[in-house]
Amino acid sequence: MVRDYNNRHALEQKLRSAPTPSAADHLMVGHWRTMATVLARTGQAEAVRQAIASVPELSLRFSGPGEWLVVSEVEAPSGLVRRLGELCDGRAHVVDQSDGRVVFRLAGPNVRSILAKGIGLDLHPAAFTIGGSANALCGHIPVNLARTDEDTFELIVPRSYAESLFDDLTKMGRAFDLTAAFSD
Amino acid sequence: MASLITCPHCGLRPKEEFAIRGDASRGRPEPMDSDEAWHDYVYVRANPRGRTLEHWHHVAGCRRFLVVERDTATHEVYSVVDAAEFARRAAQ
Repeated sequence: MVRDYNNRHALEQKLRSAPTPSAADHLMVGHWRTMATVLARTGQAEAVRQAIASVPELSLRFSGPGEWLVVSEVEAPSGLVRRLGELCDGRAHVVDQSDGRVVFRLAGPNVRSILAKGIGLDLHPAAFTIGGSANALCGHIPVNLARTDEDTFELIVPRSYAESLFDDLTKMGRAFDLTAAFSD
Repeated sequence: MASLITCPHCGLRPKEEFAIRGDASRGRPEPMDSDEAWHDYVYVRANPRGRTLEHWHHVAGCRRFLVVERDTATHEVYSVVDAAEFARRAAQ
């Protein structure tokens, strides 16, 4: 039997209802975001990091020594992989993750209080600076946490965890009237 | 159990992010070593009180294996190094 492949977003069921006006604290779910993992060859970590960091529209998220998640707002998945391949020039392995991960963007004045309910990291502005990123546990779910702006954090999870993390984040944010919607 | 571990790659992290993978102080026997040596290596576990060396896997962080030196009685952590670095030092 042949079935049509239906490309659905992991949170289409959860975020079905009509969008409500966003409150001060708001959770945005990126509809389709482009990202890839980059794993540098032994001894090439610093060269790879510099090559990718030289491109301003590519965002590097630390996920281990010599390993990053590279997020792009402008490129298409195939374009990003080709671009990274050229930048790394055989010094790293590049694997597309655009369909495998979901990006949550949490923004608002209470964002640290919300995240502190599930994440055991020091989120103080001086300790977790803008552009900083880390792999951590949110409850029981492994996430990549990044601070992208003054009061904005991005959480990247494997798509099979997206529904659970969405439920957790809505519970963590209920005391602050957190609202949620697709970002585009 | 020691509740905060300073990962050399990620910084101070709660123990929930790690999986303990056993004794790091003994090496793997050679392939043709005696059955007794292999039996000891695979099945026999010490349950020490005091300072121990253990492999800890930072599953929810950098996914690197670390060697944690800690005290099983006082929960004090003495040192944390990457397992690759530990092996390099041991080889010297």
